Amino acid sequence: MLTATLAKRIGDVALAATFEVEAGSTLVLVGESGAGKTTLLRCLAGLVTPDEGRIVLDGRVWFDGTAGVSLPAWRREVGYLAQDYALFPHLSVQANVGFGLRAQGLARRSVRSRVDATLERAGLSELASRRPDQLSGGQQQRAALARALVLEPRLLLLDEPLSALDLQTRRAVRGELRRTLAGLPCATVYVTHNPVEAIVFGDRIAVLEAGRISQVGAPDELLRRPRSPYVAEFMGVNLFRGTVTERDASGLVRVRTPFGSVVAVDPGEPGDVLVALNPREVTLHLVPPAGSAQNVFPGRIVELVAEPPFGERVRVALDSTPPLVAEVTRHAVESLGLREGLEVHAAFKATGLVPYR
Amino acid sequence: MSPRGRGAGVTWRVLLARLATALAITLCLGLIGLPLVALLLRVPAATLLVRLADPLVLAAIRLSLVTSLAAAGLIVLLGTPVAWLLATRDFRGKRVMEAVIDLPMVLPPTAAGVGLLLAFGRTGLAGRALASLGISLPFSTAAVVMAEAFVALPFFVGAAAAGFREVEPRYLDAAATLRASPGTTFFRVMLPLALPSVVAGATMSWARALGEFGATITFAGNLPGVTQTMPLAVYIALETDLDAAVALSVLLVVLSLTVLVAVRALPLGPAGLRRAHRDAR
Repeated sequence: MLTATLAKRIGDVALAATFEVEAGSTLVLVGESGAGKTTLLRCLAGLVTPDEGRIVLDGRVWFDGTAGVSLPAWRREVGYLAQDYALFPHLSVQANVGFGLRAQGLARRSVRSRVDATLERAGLSELASRRPDQLSGGQQQRAALARALVLEPRLLLLDEPLSALDLQTRRAVRGELRRTLAGLPCATVYVTHNPVEAIVFGDRIAVLEAGRISQVGAPDELLRRPRSPYVAEFMGVNLFRGTVTERDASGLVRVRTPFGSVVAVDPGEPGDVLVALNPREVTLHLVPPAGSAQNVFPGRIVELVAEPPFGERVRVALDSTPPLVAEVTRHAVESLGLREGLEVHAAFKATGLVPYR
Repeated sequence: MSPRGRGAGVTWRVLLARLATALAITLCLGLIGLPLVALLLRVPAATLLVRLADPLVLAAIRLSLVTSLAAAGLIVLLGTPVAWLLATRDFRGKRVMEAVIDLPMVLPPTAAGVGLLLAFGRTGLAGRALASLGISLPFSTAAVVMAEAFVALPFFVGAAAAGFREVEPRYLDAAATLRASPGTTFFRVMLPLALPSVVAGATMSWARALGEFGATITFAGNLPGVTQTMPLAVYIALETDLDAAVALSVLLVVLSLTVLVAVRALPLGPAGLRRAHRDAR
């Protein structure tokens, strides 16, 4: 298990984060570029020395600012997969994978057998004698991961492991990587800015905003209860910040936001709340709907984006007050004739809205 | 001025510029090339091998090869850590250190020889201590090696440091996270990736050592068989036997040219290394 508290100032970003990762589980670290994700990873790897803090792995202290302990990277049992993989260009795949074992002074023969077994497992046996520049992107990724995993690290650090791959490869490698990571006994920290990867790989997701962790939780938790506009946008949900104003007998309340008010389920007490709304709960109509939806907002369509590209669902952004994103089927887009600039009415039920703090 | 007139003026200017450029290039090539041609024309073809087989000439050739290789070895051994330091670390006085290392490139070798005498001569700074240990350096073969190393060192350090600097930090980081100690990282990653530059630097410094004259004759003297290297033999022969001087000079030209061509044709030259780095990305 990893427990880390660390602070590091690099340029304008003051990184200050505290988190834990259980052995055998994956913490996905998300955030905009420049939020400090890579710096945090490099602090854990020992490639960057934090200004202060404490990093403990399975009871072993890797870094302690007050005690003056700082193990160099090569004394940490860490596996680090850089964004561009950094396979040694002068070594074959086999020698790349065997590099760490050789560096520890293991006998050539035992290195050979462990490397062969690892290559076999990674499906790289055929490519063992190739140079990195003779591999495809996906194969390079597998080779670099095998090179890290053959050392049986206690902490695996992955820095946007799929971002260097083209779109077609990415999907296949993602599935493969998920199966590999699922079987690992070590703690894993996975950096990405891709929401799909965050949900697929994360047992928990930590969101880094301007050097600080603004929210950490299971993917479902972030989806249902995002705590910041960035988290909501990342997870693709609507978020309103407001104050409970009117309560009625039916168990509903009115939440006033800076952009208008919505009707939601009574949270039980008054005050400032957050309300998250899944875009799938929002329906679009050409005329004001008559029905059970308590929340209806007119607005003009600003943008239509299919998700995934050319997929069956379409995200529709409105300039309503408050601004809303709806996710509807391609069929609905066609039958309603939805297009940019069209005036529509967005509706959603109050029962789907549960305010939280 | 009419458009046509202006056009003609521009054409004249272009023509003049081309002529001047061609003249400069011709003169430059002539400055370097003519002496080479002159040497080759004066080669005593029939007696060249006989001249080179002269015991004194042979001794000079042997001594030159031995001392220049020893100097190159010494330079690689002592210069590699210096190149590594200059390429990877920032510290106070780094610029001064770089200037000092580069100094032999521009310093007249005779001045270097005088400095070496004052440092390692019998009554020199370090010479006195060495003398009390029974070691006397001046006018010995060891002195030749020292003089050559002094003059040729910057050629190696410059090239090796440039090579080390070109090794991308991501490879060094990768090695560190694969539990390679700094030493292992240097020998298994940094040195192999910078090897073309290191080999090129070593070869260049060897070639420079081979041609060393001023510092050698000042610090080591001109003792046939002990300190009389090929360049010294050429100089001496010039006064007594022009043909011998020509023969030795031609040999030096051929050796130097071979070295330069070989460095450029290294299977993994600097260009090859860059290619490997780029492809890996």
